[in-house]
Amino acid sequence: MRKNKPVFVGKQTDMGTMEQKLNEELKQLQREIEVCEAEQDSYVRSISLQHGEALRGVLQTLYNKKEKGDGTLKKDVSKLITDITDTEKDLRRQTNISGITLTECCVKTLEKNERKTIQQYRLTGHCCFLSFQVEFALVDIQDSDSSLQKITDLNVILDGAEFKDLCAFVSRVEETKSLFLFFRTLRLFSERCKQRSCTLQYFKEKYPDVVRLPEGCRSEVMMIQSPKLPGCTMSIFWKISVSKEGVVQPKLELLMKMPEQAQKMDTNNVMETAPEAFRSLLKIFGVEASIESLIKSVCF
Amino acid sequence: MDIVRKQGVFDHLLMLEKAGTAGQEKQKQDHLKELHAAILTLRAKRERLFAETAALKDLKDKLDQGLPLEEEETDDFMQLEQFLLKSRLMQLKDLQTVYHLIGGYNLIESKQGKSVCVSFRTAFEGMYLETYNLEMDLRRTVQISRHNIPPCVPLERLAKEHLQADFKAFLEILSLHLNALAGRKQQVLLIKELIGTVEIIERNQLCNFLVFMCKIQEETEAAVLCTLEYGDLTQCLPTRVTIESENKTLAESPQWKKNQVLLMESPVHSALLTMRKVGSIV
Repeated sequence: MRKNKPVFVGKQTDMGTMEQKLNEELKQLQREIEVCEAEQDSYVRSISLQHGEALRGVLQTLYNKKEKGDGTLKKDVSKLITDITDTEKDLRRQTNISGITLTECCVKTLEKNERKTIQQYRLTGHCCFLSFQVEFALVDIQDSDSSLQKITDLNVILDGAEFKDLCAFVSRVEETKSLFLFFRTLRLFSERCKQRSCTLQYFKEKYPDVVRLPEGCRSEVMMIQSPKLPGCTMSIFWKISVSKEGVVQPKLELLMKMPEQAQKMDTNNVMETAPEAFRSLLKIFGVEASIESLIKSVCF
Repeated sequence: MDIVRKQGVFDHLLMLEKAGTAGQEKQKQDHLKELHAAILTLRAKRERLFAETAALKDLKDKLDQGLPLEEEETDDFMQLEQFLLKSRLMQLKDLQTVYHLIGGYNLIESKQGKSVCVSFRTAFEGMYLETYNLEMDLRRTVQISRHNIPPCVPLERLAKEHLQADFKAFLEILSLHLNALAGRKQQVLLIKELIGTVEIIERNQLCNFLVFMCKIQEETEAAVLCTLEYGDLTQCLPTRVTIESENKTLAESPQWKKNQVLLMESPVHSALLTMRKVGSIV
């Protein structure tokens, strides 16, 4: 009776240590595999980043093979290519609908556990001809009954002369982390800028002798000057203001300049009443018609 | 007699113990076998990954040195093609995620292009809020078949005005309405969360009418009633703010004139926080 027990106990510890050893080896292997996979990921990412051209060549060959119905492609490679083309199609549509073209996108996972994921995004792109660079962190918390997604840490860098008026808006957006509002307003703002630029360009081409764009068609200023009346200029300032909370409003103002002799003859006080008259004109006829009537008034 | 009986009992107990532990033993051995098998699988996986990574590093070195890639039908190269494809897909999926995070629509077409489902995400000040869905039938004319858009949003009117003419404009204006609604709702929530002393007297489903009472001082009953009307449903800011109080001079004071402007120009919760900071309310 007693003889059996010690032997039995010994066997138990043997199995215990064996199990422990195996578990350790298993963990070790898993760690090595994770390291290897991470290394692979970084090679793949760095190849994508540095050798985009070479990659595209190889990928194009593969796409062509698939199109020709080349049977040498393995099934999973073929499926990957289909997924790629589908996603590319969706992205083209997204670009079209949102009006925003993303040229670069870097995603880094800062923290990941069962419940919480924090990822950092860095985007570069443009909307019409306005370029931006946006960095933000996204926190994703999944509880059993609820999920939460929040932006923390928003940083916006804008490029271009049109942006000097957006400083207050951008600071507010960064403070409140309003990513959506930023892009929505950016799109509205660029549409207005484009509209302005097209209109100014149109008038310049239609009345080349009278209309001057001293700072180009992407600026705020348009000068109307009849060659017969040098010194008398009408300057239209077309500002597109963006409030702190993202309300986009075009504001047009007229400024008249006349040389002194002309001012003396200005019995109707046109210089002073013109800006107000222009504002009324805008309200009734809108921008293009008002500008056109101003131009026509000097083309006698 | 006793000894014999005891021995019998002990033998029986021993037999039971052995049987029990034998069962446990078998379990343990099975478990060990599983561990062994798992280890073998992982070892094989590790070997494979090591080989793949080495091949990948080779490729990277070749590319870094500017050597041309030969189209070899070797297994290694096939593996690499998969990597390249996977990485390209990963890049594209990242971009897709980003578009959803910044733009908010997710369009899913049905296989034959007969219908499309659009998801609208809403967000306010960095917090992502509800997602609304809309399914549209594309067969003859574009028509909305199913949706979970709240009834207070004028969906029918918007669809009538924009859907047939300009799909993009329809999506944009609907998104504006939904985001503004979510934003106004969220502001009320934030008032309750951040400024507990303010009492919400009246609000509606469309969140375009809000009446709340602010306490001026801790001890007294002095209070100011603020009425916010949101005339533009695509905005998160009110179009009219009315300040009322039993204390007429207070309501007319320059401080409260300023507060009125503040309530018109910034979201309610921010305005109230500022007012609390400068001491207008508690």
